[in-house]
Amino acid sequence: MIVIDRSTRAFLPAGELGRNDDYEGKVHSELMELRVQVSMGSEASPADEQRLVAEVLAKDRKATADFVGRCSDWVYSFVRYRLTPRTEMVEDLTQETLLAAWQSLPNFRGDGNLRSWVLGIARHKVEEHYRRSIREMESPEPGSAAELAETPMLEQQLDSAMRQERVEATLALLPEAYGLALLWRYRDGKSAREMAELTGKTEKAIERLLARARENFRRRWNDAR
Amino acid sequence: MPADFDFEFRSLFSQPKERPEEAGGGAPSTLKARLYSALVRSQQESGPLASLDATVASGHEICVFEKLVQIAPVAERLKSPFFCGVCHARVLAEKLDNPPIFWPHCPYVEFKKS
Repeated sequence: MIVIDRSTRAFLPAGELGRNDDYEGKVHSELMELRVQVSMGSEASPADEQRLVAEVLAKDRKATADFVGRCSDWVYSFVRYRLTPRTEMVEDLTQETLLAAWQSLPNFRGDGNLRSWVLGIARHKVEEHYRRSIREMESPEPGSAAELAETPMLEQQLDSAMRQERVEATLALLPEAYGLALLWRYRDGKSAREMAELTGKTEKAIERLLARARENFRRRWNDAR
Repeated sequence: MPADFDFEFRSLFSQPKERPEEAGGGAPSTLKARLYSALVRSQQESGPLASLDATVASGHEICVFEKLVQIAPVAERLKSPFFCGVCHARVLAEKLDNPPIFWPHCPYVEFKKS
């Protein structure tokens, strides 16, 4: 299994360390995702998967049960991992993903494994959920980002598990769009520009949203001390 | 300065989390049961399901109720409906996490085990 922590910074090209935060975030995010996929293992051979897909397409009810049993575990874990701590949408997104996967099954060519293919659909569904939530959020007033006194004061002395727990507890208290914006930016490594393109907002509006979200997060983090 | 905030938040959010399977990661059995029922119903909308004979020929096991249908002296087309749709195992499995259903080769029992 690949273990990833802050040492993933060592993957950065010389000279990029600490300079290109977006790049670093992406590398970290992609490696984290790889870790999820690798750690979940794949037990079926490509031939087994091709056979399963052919049987599902032939409307074999038992093969369909097998398909649901396998894929729902992969998708549920993946979606929950990406949405934590806001898990109320996990079942809905799992369901949407499985239905979309089944509808697209004739397009499965078998050149990758079934899990990667299904998780690609799940990733798209999760991003769609991020986009929808952020798009529906009203943009903060122009100029407000500059007025926010962003002071670095997040307590870093907690051990890893406690900190993770506290991050999730704090995120759960934020308005949904703020929480998702922070997850998208800092857990998934999306840049403000990419977020703007995907949500149809301006980059400035996304930066203001992130500034609001960070400030809100900080306030609640400190209140919990 | 914003880059400092970015760094601060990235380091806060990038802590490796427990692996999904360590967190008891699998989908709930009720969700699997609902998904399975929904998918098979969708399959039926575009024509009959594969026959039980074809299912057995592919190497799958069928439950005791399906076995009864399979050996019944009726037309083939009567053997293709989604019999689980009228089985109490489906109703229980879609509503309860640990439904009291136990017979072999029932997909809803398999979901309960996973």
